[in-house]
Amino acid sequence: MRFDVIIIGGGLSGLTAGIALAEAGKDVALVSAGQSTLHFGSGSLDLLGCDDKGNDIYKPIDAIATLGEKHPYNKLEDVSGLAGVAKQLLERAGIATTGDANVNHWRITPIGGLMPTWLSMEGMAIVQDPDQMPWKRVALVNIANYLDFPTKFLAAGLRERGVQVDVKAVTVPQLAQLRKSPTEMRSTNIAKVIESNDIINDIADKINSITGEGYDMVLLPAVLGVASSENSKKLLSLIKMPASYVATLPPSVTGVRLQTQLRKRFNSLGGSFFPGDQVIEGVFENNVLKGVKTAKLDGTTLEADNFILATGSFMSRGLKADYDHIYEPALGVDVDDMGLDRKTWAKIDVNEAQPYMEMGVKTDEKLRCLRNGTAINNLYAVGSILSGHNSIKLLDAAGVDMLTALQVANNIIK
Amino acid sequence: MTTVNNNHYDVIVIGGGITGAGTARDCAMRGLKVLLVERHDFSTGATGRNHGLMHSGARYAVTDHESAKECIQENMILRKIARHCVEETDGLFITLPEDDLNFQATFVQKCTEAGISAEIIDPKQAIIMEPSVNPELIGAVKVPDASIDPFRLTMANVLDAQLHGAEVLVYHEVVDVIIEQDRMVGVKLRNNHNGEELDVYATVTVNAAGIWGALIAQMAGVKINMFPAKGSLLIFGHRVNNMVINRCRKPANADILVPDDAVCVIGTTSVRIPIEECDDMRVTPEEVEELLAEGMKLAPSLGSTRILRGYAGVRPLVASDDDPSGRSISRGIVTLDHEKRDGLAGFITITGGKMMTYRLMAEEVTDLVCQKLNISKNCDTATTPLPGSEPKEETKRFSFSQKAAEGRHGTLDKEIESGDAASDALVCECEGVSVGEVRYAVTKLHVHNLINLRRRTRVGMGTCQGELCACRAAGVMCSDDKSAQKAINDLNGFVNERWKGMQPVAWGDNLAEAQLTATIYQGLLGVDKLANERRIEYYEI
Repeated sequence: MRFDVIIIGGGLSGLTAGIALAEAGKDVALVSAGQSTLHFGSGSLDLLGCDDKGNDIYKPIDAIATLGEKHPYNKLEDVSGLAGVAKQLLERAGIATTGDANVNHWRITPIGGLMPTWLSMEGMAIVQDPDQMPWKRVALVNIANYLDFPTKFLAAGLRERGVQVDVKAVTVPQLAQLRKSPTEMRSTNIAKVIESNDIINDIADKINSITGEGYDMVLLPAVLGVASSENSKKLLSLIKMPASYVATLPPSVTGVRLQTQLRKRFNSLGGSFFPGDQVIEGVFENNVLKGVKTAKLDGTTLEADNFILATGSFMSRGLKADYDHIYEPALGVDVDDMGLDRKTWAKIDVNEAQPYMEMGVKTDEKLRCLRNGTAINNLYAVGSILSGHNSIKLLDAAGVDMLTALQVANNIIK
Repeated sequence: MTTVNNNHYDVIVIGGGITGAGTARDCAMRGLKVLLVERHDFSTGATGRNHGLMHSGARYAVTDHESAKECIQENMILRKIARHCVEETDGLFITLPEDDLNFQATFVQKCTEAGISAEIIDPKQAIIMEPSVNPELIGAVKVPDASIDPFRLTMANVLDAQLHGAEVLVYHEVVDVIIEQDRMVGVKLRNNHNGEELDVYATVTVNAAGIWGALIAQMAGVKINMFPAKGSLLIFGHRVNNMVINRCRKPANADILVPDDAVCVIGTTSVRIPIEECDDMRVTPEEVEELLAEGMKLAPSLGSTRILRGYAGVRPLVASDDDPSGRSISRGIVTLDHEKRDGLAGFITITGGKMMTYRLMAEEVTDLVCQKLNISKNCDTATTPLPGSEPKEETKRFSFSQKAAEGRHGTLDKEIESGDAASDALVCECEGVSVGEVRYAVTKLHVHNLINLRRRTRVGMGTCQGELCACRAAGVMCSDDKSAQKAINDLNGFVNERWKGMQPVAWGDNLAEAQLTATIYQGLLGVDKLANERRIEYYEI
């Protein structure tokens, strides 16, 4: 089988590259092992949230100049322009967002913190200025006995910022049924029960009856809209007061939706999707990757003019650490291990910046992978597998995912 | 928490490890007015940092007959009185090609002399009995080793002490002793949560503080020459073996593999450390290498099994000579009557020994306490079941969490609220911990933070090491805004504590899991930013 481009990895970076290339008329195949880190998402996408001292960044584009020289943003031609393209790409996939790359806004974390972010999916509660909360009186309404929305922490966090908060809970008989098996009381299951039983009206009625009047915001757990934002929007529209969602503990319904809609978009553009499979070997010839073999397509080599490695970091198994070294398992490309071994790649205090977080594959200025020190002409890396940044400390994961994917798509299209 | 009603006691027991808890129980059962004090949480010292092995005594049969005899006697007693803490796994002592098979005959003979049933098994049969065992073994002996949960055992002793009227103060540290003329009459305590101090008095004070007992003695001007022997262990992500596997040779490093609940533990190393290091022990990369290499000789599949974490404990051995490793020091019980030994009345130290012989240690020291108080009452601890281990009632338990709770709390599980949606909501999916069980632990089992909760319920002990359950449990535990901030600090501390065990083994799936945890707790929740207190409590590791 032959394609223009083969993408390895179906998370945010792989799907972004796939859509951008398919939109430009390329014949694209995407091999995806399964769940991606989107399932641990917040309903917002971060571009650059914090500096290396942990201070919130207000103007991310301006702050890019202060990043270390290894940061992947340094390999982008026009960060601001690509950020705009990313927002439009999401829009075309049916994912409406608010926010822009010049000025961060703040998302509310499931335990009541505020964190700087770039784009928030529609319906998510956001704060434009962390020093000035937009609400005076908030009703925080949970699904009864749903533990992944820690309302006590959320309420305490909002009150700390001067907001008056009343905590309430609702339930409907169909959800009580779900609770008979306690392991089922998780966000995506709640969403399925509500959406498949068509009980959004009932839930809205309950929320309206217990909240009454006098709130300027009703905050709800983001447990609606696995496939699209239709149902999540519907619930908000039925609530008599302004209402919006706050992220829950994983799995993230908004993250699953983001992935679902991006996949749908990729498929509708004619992209070929190989789910539940993984690349196990590359066929190289003179600094060119001729094809890849996968675990499921026994013996068949998938060939393409260009390849993109978007398999993520350690948690996505895009990188692996064994007893004595770090490596990239799919194609064996060069890894920047910062000269550290297992005695030094992890530090004792979990809150410190962990060196292993900055490890990843080496790339040249065009984001092409290296193998034995030499660039592979047609193999690019995008997203979290890239070395040179700590996405947890800098809050730049989604930005690196999307913008490096778009840059590589441009490099290939050129 | 129990409040101090009247500050004079018959006996104050210092130390909430298994020895202190057992002593408090025995004293209380003999009708004494008891106060048990612990500076941190129960089982934070050696009690909570060992294999969880219920020795048959076979390990000591050749080198230390007395300890071996004590072990097998106590082993048989604990099977009866602590049923809900024990899993009767049996154990194998295997001989590998590099070991001397002649040792086996001596071993079996010495076991028999100590009263330990030791049955030579054909190596092929041993592989059938325990498929994970190294198939290259050339000899095997079956002994009545078993697995025991030290956290549960300590808690059961504390609960029974309380049922018999004992008062208990956790997070209360002895900062000084009160001496009048040549008699210790009490101790000065500091509440480690708020810094307040209070004096408590007793006719007899029992020092059961493990290795830290040397420091308590020092306060009283008494010298005990302790030998702090650090032992490191590794926990694996699943239960590779169903029987305890030992090496049939003289005790050496990393030669015991114990199945505990859903995991297994390899250990230990043995190295002398300065007493100041006992509060901050870490597993070194070299120790990890040795444990892994030796462990694979017992069960080769350990090489491909995920290591969950590493931890280290310190044996409270009493020094006798210049043995650099401490291996040759007797594991025997040491009861020091400081009135006779040092001319200081009202003060007794109980140390040495092993977790296995805690009950016997408690009996010995309680006998001495009673003698000092002129009380003659027999010890009943060997025949009275601990709370949770009473004869079983017929119960019908359906759900995973109900069954799991029964496993953890024995017959005490009836105190856990269940049957309604709020109580049955599941906090920890790996270990099956419900909201009801968390509430029970908080109200009845002296739980002040998530780490305490982990010791009582196994929350966060599964393969995910507290990925989501810690946050859920923190939410259940906090009641108002003030406690919410405390709970957030607690949550951050918990994540850090879990990491400390993972950091020495941060490769493979562990590193992937660590990155995921950081993505959730720091990236998604921002717990590191919300925590306003970054106290690292080393002793809570």
